[in-house]
Amino acid sequence: MLGKYFGSGRSGAFDWFFQRVSGVALLITLFLHFWVLHYASEGPVTYQKVMARLVSPAWKALDIAFLVFAVYHAMNGFKMIIDDYVHTSGVRAVLVGALWVVAIGFFGLGVLTIVTLKVQA
Amino acid sequence: MVKTVTFSVFRYDPEKDTRPYYKDYRVELRRPGMMVLDGLNQIRWEQDGTLAFRRSCREGVCGSDGLNINGVNMLACITHIEELKEPIVVQPLPSMPVIKDLVVDFTDFYAKYYLVKPYLITKTPPPSDRERLQSPEDRKKLDGLYECILCACCSTSCPSFWADPNYLGPAALLKAWRFIADTRDEGADERLEIINDRDGAWRCHTILNCVEACPKQLNPTEAIAELKKAIIHRKF
Repeated sequence: MLGKYFGSGRSGAFDWFFQRVSGVALLITLFLHFWVLHYASEGPVTYQKVMARLVSPAWKALDIAFLVFAVYHAMNGFKMIIDDYVHTSGVRAVLVGALWVVAIGFFGLGVLTIVTLKVQA
Repeated sequence: MVKTVTFSVFRYDPEKDTRPYYKDYRVELRRPGMMVLDGLNQIRWEQDGTLAFRRSCREGVCGSDGLNINGVNMLACITHIEELKEPIVVQPLPSMPVIKDLVVDFTDFYAKYYLVKPYLITKTPPPSDRERLQSPEDRKKLDGLYECILCACCSTSCPSFWADPNYLGPAALLKAWRFIADTRDEGADERLEIINDRDGAWRCHTILNCVEACPKQLNPTEAIAELKKAIIHRKF
């Protein structure tokens, strides 16, 4: 009757807890983003100013952390919906597998964008 | 002239009907303070003996007559007819298999209830000269938990319970916390092991329908939150 007795080691405790942890992290990074965009810089916004920030290693590290939390939070949210409504283990495996593919794809694209970002001459 | 109200009652006899239908009855309000159960009794005793429904104590203690009345789960025996809008639509508890009319099959509900081990589990022997004592403060922690009468109003009001046929549901989870929160009980580990599951506490999305539905004013959502906290504290 219950999932974990049919071969799955996943109980849902990790999913539930880190959905909350990532949610709080997203809130913090979101307000940091607002603050930086609206209050942290003086004068008109220019390409040079924005890019100087975006290519700095500290900002790239923050962007990667944001990416990890955002992808985890979004995909885990979809997984919870699948857990709610899909009760056939085969169909669920296919859907959760597809979620993993999408999540890894988004994460790879995001990392590529952040890491390779350079100021254009 | 006695005032009457209309009851629109869900009817279904699997041996005769191909599909359920609603039948209207006029119920006479012969005295003040009549309950919905009084109305159903009047229908069965005086108008239509084929109407099936469960009832026993008629005072909100046995939990037999949990019904969906005007769209809300409640006990027919403690719900005043005069406080309801007409017509009073009486349906069986949602999501439960209908046996006949308002009588539903509780097999699955009880199976989930037994799964959380709803009894005192002890490992240390009791004192030789007396029963297992509990301080008044510790006893107070069980208020709001022990009063559950297993009417199933909460579980059958829960969208997670409707969506996932394996979800344990608020009634079973409230009962699990009732024993885990009991200082005399020593079965928390084995209960939490069962509840820490995709179909256990994690399917609760704090929709709070169970809290609104409970005719004993209990708070299953809070009990489930305590279960989640207890699991997380053990794991992380």
